[in-house]
Amino acid sequence: MFCYNCGCHLSEKDFCTGCGADVSLYKRIMHVSNMYYNEGLEKAGVRDLTGAITSLRQSLKFNKSNIEARNLLGLVYFEMGEVVAALSEWVISKNLSPDKNIADDYIDKVQSNAARLDSVNQTIKKYNQALVYCLQDSKDLAVIQLKKVLSLNPRFVQAHQLLALLYMDREDWERAERELKKCVDIDRNNIQTLRYMKEVEQMLMPDETVKQPSRRKKDEAVRYQSDNEMIIQPLSVKEPRRTGVSTLLNIAIGLIIGFGVVYFLVVPSAQSKVRNEIQQDMIKISNESDGKTVRIQELESKIAELNTQIDSLNQEIEGFAGEDGTLRMVENLQRTVAEYLQKGDMQAAADSLENISQNVVMEEMSESFRSLYQGLMASIGPELSAEYYKNGYDLYRTNDYTSAIDILTKSVYYDAQNVDALYFLARAYEKNEDAENAIAAYDKVLEQFPDSGRVRDAKRYRDALAKIQTQ
Amino acid sequence: MINFEDELKKFHPSLEVEDAEDAIYNQDLTDMADILVKMIKETETKTKKEKKSDEVQ
Repeated sequence: MFCYNCGCHLSEKDFCTGCGADVSLYKRIMHVSNMYYNEGLEKAGVRDLTGAITSLRQSLKFNKSNIEARNLLGLVYFEMGEVVAALSEWVISKNLSPDKNIADDYIDKVQSNAARLDSVNQTIKKYNQALVYCLQDSKDLAVIQLKKVLSLNPRFVQAHQLLALLYMDREDWERAERELKKCVDIDRNNIQTLRYMKEVEQMLMPDETVKQPSRRKKDEAVRYQSDNEMIIQPLSVKEPRRTGVSTLLNIAIGLIIGFGVVYFLVVPSAQSKVRNEIQQDMIKISNESDGKTVRIQELESKIAELNTQIDSLNQEIEGFAGEDGTLRMVENLQRTVAEYLQKGDMQAAADSLENISQNVVMEEMSESFRSLYQGLMASIGPELSAEYYKNGYDLYRTNDYTSAIDILTKSVYYDAQNVDALYFLARAYEKNEDAENAIAAYDKVLEQFPDSGRVRDAKRYRDALAKIQTQ
Repeated sequence: MINFEDELKKFHPSLEVEDAEDAIYNQDLTDMADILVKMIKETETKTKKEKKSDEVQ
């Protein structure tokens, strides 16, 4: 104990040995504070938490710096579920005595677990909300909320008391009693709890003089506790005597109710189940159908593609084997060669070759075909060319230039070395006033046969034609 | 017979964590020892003043 005036350690004397101040009253105050602390400690030891709170608060009224009393008060609050009040006391304690204070550990334990602290805060908020519900006369909501609160913090005495009060209000005495017993387990001497308990006990076990409807029921019943449930077994209840008609009537009513239950509860549920199953099946079938449709489309497009390929190949085969096909032309050429070798009919062979050359593209034909064609052409070409040249020249001489051009063209075709045929073809073009083809033919004469005797005339005619064209 | 409405008035909202700071600051921490010390000091001051006035007279 220290002097209030100078802070010096006090001895057993009634004055301060340091400053001489009278400390007799101060010492008595400190002793009273300690006495209340001891009382509070004893009460807390026997779980009289309300009594402990009263004593400890009294102790702190005499000496606010009684750290043990303040810490114990915090602990008692914490035990009753009043976490914030507990924290407040410990924080004040810590401020008054920062060194070697167990309140520090208590604060750390509460604050170190953030989830626990949040849960505590939620509990308090829910309790306050339940209280608001009570004031708004929403008692059912308040009961639900308080049950939640107590599931989170089963030591919250005020919540137990409020829940008991709500049960009492709805005359649910057994439940109210259960809640109050939980309150007593936490805090044995809470005046409010004890008052409610007395009321509940009166309702559950009223004395003989008080006539209560529930009392009469209790007398006529055997009551016993099974776990959390109160079992009430009536003693003097007699089964009413039933006649045959009433029994049948009851059976009929029972059957009707049974059918009603089946019709209104079971049948819709079964229908709904079947409907759901059908819907699931339909979805499954629909999905399968979609997959198969896609597969069919793929196969159809593949069939169309293959058909196109078949048509294309058919056309190709037709090209080879048709009327003017390659195979037919090969056959014609072979027949022409055979006939020419047998009969020596050069004109017929020439006609046949001409027909073949008109129906085939020589570059696309096989090597053997081209070789055979060129061989035959080499055999009959010069002779034919000479024949055509003779006829063409006659026509030229008779001024039939158009016919002469056709015949001389054939002559040049069958023998490209026939310079006379080429020269008179150029002349026939010129006479026929086809200057362009005439110049082209003269140019061939000049390029292909520079040593020929036709070159000089060809050059002269060509230059004259070119001059006329430029003018 | 317990009256629900009357009993309900005895229940008060519990302090929430957010309110803890206010609760700590607003707590009246004056104790009997403070009052005693104040009274002693006031008495001493008064005695000194009376002595001074006696000396002046």
